[in-house]
Amino acid sequence: MDFFVQQLVNGLTLGSVYALIALGYSMVYGILKLLNFAHGDVYMMGAFAGYGVLIALGGPYDLTLPVVAVIALMFLAAMLASGALGVVIERFAYRPLRNAPRIAPLISALGVAFFLQSSALLLFGADFRSYDTYEYVDLAQGIHVGPLNISVVRLLVIGTSFALMIALTLLVSRTRLGKAMRATAFDREAAAMQGIDVDRVIMATFFIGSVLAGAAGVMVGLVFYKVYFLMGFLAGLKGFTAAVVGGIGSIPGAMLGGLAIGFGEAFITGYVSSTFQDFFVFAILIVILLVRPSGLLGRADIQKV
Amino acid sequence: MDEHRKEPTPPQPPDTTREGGPRIGVDEWVARSGERITRRAGWTAPAAEAFERVPPWARLALVVALAACVPFVSDSEYVVRVAVNTVLFGLLALGLNVVVGYAGLLDLGYVAFYGFGAYAYAILSSNQFDLHWPTELTIPVVVVASALLGLLLGLPSRRLLGDYLAIVTLFFAQIFVVLTTNADRINVPFVDGPVDFTGGPNGIAGVDPMSFFGIELSRVEHYLWFSLVVFTVVIVGLHLLNESRTGRAWRALREDPLAAELMSMPVNRLKLLAFMFGAAVAGLTGTIFASVQLGVFPQNFDLPLLITLYAMVILGGAGSLPGVVLGAAVITISLELLRDPGNARLLFYGAIVLGLLAFMRPWTKLAVVAAGTVVFGFVAYFVVDAVHPAWTAGSIDGGGLGGLLDGWVIHPESSVRLGNGAFVLLVAAVIALSQLKGRWRLALTIPTLYLAAVVWENRLVFEPSVTRILLLGALLIMLMNARPQGLMGTSRVEIV
Amino acid sequence: MKKLLLVLVLALAVLAAGCGGDDGTDATGTTAATNGGADTGAGGSVDCEGAIGIMAPITGDAGAIGTEQLNWAKFAVSRFNEEHGTTFRLEEGDTQLDPAQASTVAQRFTSNNAILAVVGPAGSQEVEAVAPAFTRANMGFVSGSATRTSLTNGDNPTFHRVVPNDDAQAPTIANHILENLDPQTVVVIDDQTSYSRPLADGIQQTLEDGDVTVRRESVNQKQTDFSALVSRIPNDANVVVLPWQIAANAQIFGQQMREQGKDATIFGSDGLFSPDDFRIDGALVSSFAPDIRNIEESQELAEAFQAEHGDFGTFGPPTYAATEVVMTAMRNVCESGEELTREAVAEAIGEVSISESILGGELAFDDNGDPEGAEFYIFRVEDGEYTLVTE
Repeated sequence: MDFFVQQLVNGLTLGSVYALIALGYSMVYGILKLLNFAHGDVYMMGAFAGYGVLIALGGPYDLTLPVVAVIALMFLAAMLASGALGVVIERFAYRPLRNAPRIAPLISALGVAFFLQSSALLLFGADFRSYDTYEYVDLAQGIHVGPLNISVVRLLVIGTSFALMIALTLLVSRTRLGKAMRATAFDREAAAMQGIDVDRVIMATFFIGSVLAGAAGVMVGLVFYKVYFLMGFLAGLKGFTAAVVGGIGSIPGAMLGGLAIGFGEAFITGYVSSTFQDFFVFAILIVILLVRPSGLLGRADIQKV
Repeated sequence: MDEHRKEPTPPQPPDTTREGGPRIGVDEWVARSGERITRRAGWTAPAAEAFERVPPWARLALVVALAACVPFVSDSEYVVRVAVNTVLFGLLALGLNVVVGYAGLLDLGYVAFYGFGAYAYAILSSNQFDLHWPTELTIPVVVVASALLGLLLGLPSRRLLGDYLAIVTLFFAQIFVVLTTNADRINVPFVDGPVDFTGGPNGIAGVDPMSFFGIELSRVEHYLWFSLVVFTVVIVGLHLLNESRTGRAWRALREDPLAAELMSMPVNRLKLLAFMFGAAVAGLTGTIFASVQLGVFPQNFDLPLLITLYAMVILGGAGSLPGVVLGAAVITISLELLRDPGNARLLFYGAIVLGLLAFMRPWTKLAVVAAGTVVFGFVAYFVVDAVHPAWTAGSIDGGGLGGLLDGWVIHPESSVRLGNGAFVLLVAAVIALSQLKGRWRLALTIPTLYLAAVVWENRLVFEPSVTRILLLGALLIMLMNARPQGLMGTSRVEIV
Repeated sequence: MKKLLLVLVLALAVLAAGCGGDDGTDATGTTAATNGGADTGAGGSVDCEGAIGIMAPITGDAGAIGTEQLNWAKFAVSRFNEEHGTTFRLEEGDTQLDPAQASTVAQRFTSNNAILAVVGPAGSQEVEAVAPAFTRANMGFVSGSATRTSLTNGDNPTFHRVVPNDDAQAPTIANHILENLDPQTVVVIDDQTSYSRPLADGIQQTLEDGDVTVRRESVNQKQTDFSALVSRIPNDANVVVLPWQIAANAQIFGQQMREQGKDATIFGSDGLFSPDDFRIDGALVSSFAPDIRNIEESQELAEAFQAEHGDFGTFGPPTYAATEVVMTAMRNVCESGEELTREAVAEAIGEVSISESILGGELAFDDNGDPEGAEFYIFRVEDGEYTLVTE
């Protein structure tokens, strides 16, 4: 039983990070029908931005500000940096291709991904950087009830993710911007005809998606410590998978997909096999998609004849 | 008062030949009608028209003949090896073209077929299970097996559309990598002890070279010629396929799956056929690869290869046979060329100069920019030298070009930090450039060019391995912006 | 039209670069003959020049390892040139740890007549992929990190390595566990690479021969989260063996073990020897050399390197040693008056003997290409410091 609960916690932590990344993919796809391969690298840059702030404020060993302030600043810096980067990428690499066949912005995204990765390699080097959270946060704190061992950092990560997801859902469902986003995702031309500034809505979408990715980057750094130039590749892949499995274009779907993959990985490693973990996770996801071809919460696109 | 009482001009039909004009049409033949009607202008016109007049089979023969002469032109094994790699990538691109370009299915698991072909050949022709089947038997068996695997993987395509199919095929590719990495200790019933199927992370080394009817392919040149033969056969076969009913059906499927289905085309069967053909070509290429490398390893077939392959296909223009081969050639050769810092420097400056030539249309503008950059450089160098002599203390080596630049580019002894800062500044400047217009744009171009030289000499030239990926990324972005349909692809048309 | 022109422009640039680029380091090799000619035969007593290829995973997943190896090789070349007045230079070849790229880079090196010997490649599977080409070209190559035992079984006569092979390390680790750690259940986790698998297999075998229950797991190194795997560690396991290559991952693993209250001792192989990355208190790490920072003779080198390139882990110093071996061999050939050819260098490598190598003590090769007198040392991590565990 305690094993099960432990894996639940593991899965929840991992899943909420994947969900945040998946949200960015889903939102952009919903509006532009574009798979933004560069999203994973935006996440990587966010993680590095957070690391930069950490070092600037005294590095893992000698913080000049109280821990809470440092962490808050890291989040802020990462989110703003990623958001700005996302907007810039959109203007530079995707906007000129707005009316091109779908596959052109895909390759442009690939180019951006290559460029960001090599820039990170050039500027930061190939070494692994570590947030070394245990140096400034006492991991013994947190919830230790019986079999449950959740350190305070994991609580922070899970809590922040859910807070961000709730904020996003509220944004999309209650605000005017959210309405505009939903309208643009549904039918871009009709939305433009209704007077919605499509360019600004798209910019806002990219900004929000990238902000979430940046937050995810800092979270990963805090819980898993390791930050390096290639981290965006695999995380982006998992995020993309989560978005598709949950139903691409659907925001609750992305969250569900992320959690599904997180739990899947945790439970399969825990109960079945660590060697073939990927194998079983993918097999299960294939089955899910075969049973529900549009993803868990996706709507089958109504094809207009 | 005449302006107010002008006759309204009769509505003109939309100009489909003007770039940027509304594009209305229903298929690629119509979309390309503009190209067919327009007389070519400019100095490339005679060359382009002469090229068009040559029949396709002659063009193919010419290219193949040129490629086959490579071993005679250069006695470097490396060049021949790069040629072989190019042909192999060309083959892979052709196969992927069938799936992505003809049938319009986003298959992200393509490299798994490649790997399957390679591993199957390796298992049948090495010491792994002590099987040494003759090549004449192995190749057909592997091709058929790959096609069957393609059929298997294509089955989900019946229910899944678009990106969902992409994800499932991606899963298959990852499963393949996981299996090959870990299938070295599988417990098979009725067999004593764990069986080593794929050699695990160590792969299978010591694969037999190919041999046909007694003639063994022992040198790289032999492989080049053999793969050119295979390449010719495949490309002719695929061309014939494209012209056939199946090809037309695939095109219909790609353009509008729903309409195709309504016209009673066997959509599912077509998709499976596409998968099978693609898989067969990939499996065939895999066997050649395994015997060229004389071994197979799981790292050979992972995602970076898939990404490179897609870049080749899209760059060249999905749907166009010569296009994807061109894309494969361009990317493979540029990546190899860029390994060498000397080449890379020439390429970098050459591309900048030629790009300026192409885009600065009135030559006065070009002259202004060129002169401005040179002057700016000297001024900047002079100023920096006066203020911070340490910053110009370093030197640039590397032949004639380097010497020229020594007195022009700011170059401190230890240039990493300056290089990094300049790099970030350069990226910002390029982005700003793309958003500006007119005189401001012209004015900003000058310092940007100088900054590019600074970044190159201070940072990028010392890291050729990183630089080539950087340049590849930049190339992809620029090319997609300039020509979204790829080098030779057909402009796709949206139905209004 | 403008766009097509841009495309043509780029294509032309590529072709122009291919035909025109020859700044002396010509990759196409057509003018390399002159280069080779100019270099060979010029070997007088001190006037020695030539190029050394280095194959490493400079970019890609193992970029951290490859960059470190490259920097140490550069460091070695500049120091040797300064000390001996030679003019050796490096040619880098990025393999991304992919055997296919490695074999292409190998052919690039063999086609470049200026390159007389190669340092690397890093991975054992890469050595397998490049061996045929190098053997045919009589190119000597010395690896600082390929540890698969079968590489020196005689199939690759021009191959040498400066690190002991898996047959030496696995028993050392396993025996230390058996003798000193009173093992109940031991968990051995490999990282699915060609370095780790055979090592883990060997350790498991020796432990099982010693009647210890071994639980074997395996995990992909691309992961970020090992918590689920950590949960799988049974509570009665008191030793966890991690023959991994990425020390940062082992650090994460160890921290997550602490988080979940598992206090088994972690035993790492030489891949984890990295005082900056792996600092779990109480862990044990094996190494084929004493930490060069603790070797008196090598301290100056370590400090000089750190001043120039920053921190380093375990993969750099052996590459320094390998580069030094190659350069010493080349210099020996020059001094003997012989012509500086690949065959001569390959032969000379086998006979090199460096009395105060950076790895501590003498470095020389046995007939197979393995370093003589290879021994493994065990270190314990205490408060972020690595201290030698003396028997």
